[in-house]
Amino acid sequence: MENLKLVIVGHVDHGKSTLIGRLFYDTDSLPEGRIEEIREICEALGKELEFAYVMDHLEEERDQGITIDTAQTFFRTKKRQYTIIDAPGHVEFLKNMITGASQAEAAILIVDVNEGVQEQTRRHAYILSLLGLDQVIVVMNKMDLINYKEEMYDEVKKELLKFLESININPTYVIPISAKEGDFIAKKTRNLSWYDGPTVLEALDTFKTKNSPRDKPLRFPVQDVYKYDKRMIVGRIESGIIRVGDKIKILPSGEETIVKSIAEYMKENVMQAEAGKSTGIVTQDKVFVDRGDVITHLEDLPVITDTINAHIFWMDKQPFKKPERLLFKCATQEVMCSIEKIERVIDSSTLRLLRRDADEIRNREVADTVIKTEKPVVVEDFNKIQELGRFVLQRKDTCAGGIITNIQKE
Amino acid sequence: MIIIMAVDALEYEKVEEFNCRNLKQKCYGKTDISEFSQPRTMVLWSSFMTGKNKEEEVLRKGDKEMWNITWGLEETLFSEFKSPVVLDLPGFNYDKKVHDKSRELLKKFFDAKDDEEKRKIRREYNNDAFEHHKKVKQDFLRAIKEKHDLVLGYFSIADVIGHLNFGNTTMMRMIYKELDEIAAEINSKGKLIILSDHGMKPIGVFGDHSSYGFWSTNFETKLRNPRITDFYDFIIELKRKQE
Amino acid sequence: MNHLDRLESKSIFIIREAYKKFRKIGMLWSIGKDSTTMLWLAKKAFYGRVPFPVIYIDTGLHFKEMYEFRDECVKKWGLKLIVSKNYEEAERRGIGPEAKLECCTVRKTEALKKTIAEYKFEALLLGIRRDEHGIRAKERVFSPRNRDFMWDYKDQPPELWDQFKTRKEGEQHLRVHPLLHWTELDIWEYIKREKLPVNPLYFAKKGKRYRSLGCMPCTSPVESEADTVDKIINEVRESKVAERSGRAQDKEEANAMQKLRALGYM
Repeated sequence: MENLKLVIVGHVDHGKSTLIGRLFYDTDSLPEGRIEEIREICEALGKELEFAYVMDHLEEERDQGITIDTAQTFFRTKKRQYTIIDAPGHVEFLKNMITGASQAEAAILIVDVNEGVQEQTRRHAYILSLLGLDQVIVVMNKMDLINYKEEMYDEVKKELLKFLESININPTYVIPISAKEGDFIAKKTRNLSWYDGPTVLEALDTFKTKNSPRDKPLRFPVQDVYKYDKRMIVGRIESGIIRVGDKIKILPSGEETIVKSIAEYMKENVMQAEAGKSTGIVTQDKVFVDRGDVITHLEDLPVITDTINAHIFWMDKQPFKKPERLLFKCATQEVMCSIEKIERVIDSSTLRLLRRDADEIRNREVADTVIKTEKPVVVEDFNKIQELGRFVLQRKDTCAGGIITNIQKE
Repeated sequence: MIIIMAVDALEYEKVEEFNCRNLKQKCYGKTDISEFSQPRTMVLWSSFMTGKNKEEEVLRKGDKEMWNITWGLEETLFSEFKSPVVLDLPGFNYDKKVHDKSRELLKKFFDAKDDEEKRKIRREYNNDAFEHHKKVKQDFLRAIKEKHDLVLGYFSIADVIGHLNFGNTTMMRMIYKELDEIAAEINSKGKLIILSDHGMKPIGVFGDHSSYGFWSTNFETKLRNPRITDFYDFIIELKRKQE
Repeated sequence: MNHLDRLESKSIFIIREAYKKFRKIGMLWSIGKDSTTMLWLAKKAFYGRVPFPVIYIDTGLHFKEMYEFRDECVKKWGLKLIVSKNYEEAERRGIGPEAKLECCTVRKTEALKKTIAEYKFEALLLGIRRDEHGIRAKERVFSPRNRDFMWDYKDQPPELWDQFKTRKEGEQHLRVHPLLHWTELDIWEYIKREKLPVNPLYFAKKGKRYRSLGCMPCTSPVESEADTVDKIINEVRESKVAERSGRAQDKEEANAMQKLRALGYM
């Protein structure tokens, strides 16, 4: 069954867990007996049924709780299965939120119509745009608390859309809902008769699963070289299609050869492999090739450089201070680097400029930087080919994620 | 007014895990009950209210009789107050019938032969605990509205439910949230101390007592890892400072 | 490329990455459907060979059919099998299934600790999936464990864009989870597609089958008539009951009873 990875972001108190509970309940995707159990306990305590408790193992948020980590779980519609990556709202756990969101193919941004756009709302939206997530719907929650009136929804919607536009996000729908009461999640209710758009489930079904970038130029980062009966260059094709007989280039050295065969276990006569596939090729000539090299066709080449302009978001408690050296990892390339210039440092929630020409970057800050790698690397602009346009910086663990904005050719 | 929420088996780690802001109040931490050989409910609350280690005395009565112990008013810290209200505290004035029934059902549960019977008994056991909790909560909130210098409410729901359901995180989370809400409702009404005798740790789906308790106050205090017997003097000091 | 192709490619990528980064690596094989799928993915990744040892933890309490299935696969696929066991100690100390958690600790955890120390493994491949259980939903693909197999699920390194933690520190070993993003349904559909061998215990006999396999005393079958892979796929697709619900939930009952007695409750 087709699967779409979905992340739900927004302020911690705006009703994410209730929304998730509802999505599961309304699609009948709950484990047997779950809802009855919760209903019974709520009744025993003299309370109303709360959907937020439904997704217990997610350690999800409640009115006063904190989600500690991203966790993944599934619900189904007739069209497909949705993996929800519930990303924590609390600012403490931003790195966990980014880990989760970086795996998503689409996002729901939730806003409490009473509270309007908050700091966390903005920060999360900004991260979505940094991560290149462009399939977004907005849900305006807690409509029940304002009696489902259209005016307030319009007001908050206007403010939000203005902000989203400034960071290049175009939500396909802005849906008024009440997760608690169930309006417009799966059912169109009369409470919101003035809204003529789809329900949340209908909107989700309009998302497209991420099409592998088959139509982009070939980028095949080498993961390893196996010498069994033949010499096989293995890795995962990140974009484009490779075919038997293709003329290819090995970067950064520039050596050229031809694809002699494509090796797949227990399959004969494989003629091509496309983006997303982990495969292996055998080349006509015995070329020098190693992990970290990138194989391409002869035209439409990526950039080989040692100087990169990038937006990075720092996720480690220990700040970065010049002139620390870090490990730069992009696809299968790993080289040491230094951050030569920190041109601007931005607060990830307010998007306010904090410092210029800085010497350090702290946790949860976003910076415009110039990075110099100790050896030339093969990269792309993030907007052209994402897979070679994004990288991480590591000490022992990943400290920062980055996207390449503007490459200076050597 | 001095208010004490005596919550049996309130577990520090769970208060953290479920982020119960109102249970944590201003200052909070673990209590030291290492002087006792086992974290027994009757022993701990007896020691709390008398300020003395009552383990030997209580254990001498044997497992069955120990639940019937009642200390005289003069032996307890309540004698220092003009109009104290103490609700359902073991060793003082707790509802024997309710708690005896609960222990009986516990025994029946483990003696039961098949899963169906176990389910029925667990259901009854849980329902009784919730019912009793509603009653105590009602009495407690009412007493706080009246003019007393001390109100103590004993909440057994976390302990009773925990013994048979600690592994049911949803249930425990909801109970802790409920206790958190009660704390929120009363923390502006006086000096509030929240205290447990011991905590709880999991044995699969069941709960065992952990070897430390929980304490918190809505006022600044220099308490650091207090013994449960320290609260006798602490509370009396607190009363004196108020006058 | 369809859904299963994408899952397969991602897993192969992870397995090849682990092999490249860690000299001493082993694959945990529980003879169940998930780890057997993982084994097959390894064969695909390395073109028919499995260039590292396969570790089977023998608790001494497994179903006979599991041992048989294991031996068949080892022969057919030419595997380097390491049997990790500590059940003699358990038997000596009289620790059996009634001791529940302790039984798991002595027979499984201690056995694995011994094996890791003996072979000096730096990393282990495990076939766990996120949809199996709550706490597993929090796992990372490359996940560090300390010497006592502890991990802090709250404070894990971030994993972005398939860039994993591949630097080991000190006494740690790393756990690699190539199947994390697969569901129970995915596994069965893949088994069908690749025509993988299936342990007969998974098929229904006399109205019952095992949905998940563990040690004999602690694994119960579920009601089912599914005796072919296709029927299992239909059943799983419709099912809303958690996969591991047949594994002894109240196993700790005896322990709990004992504790409560000691506290004077009964």
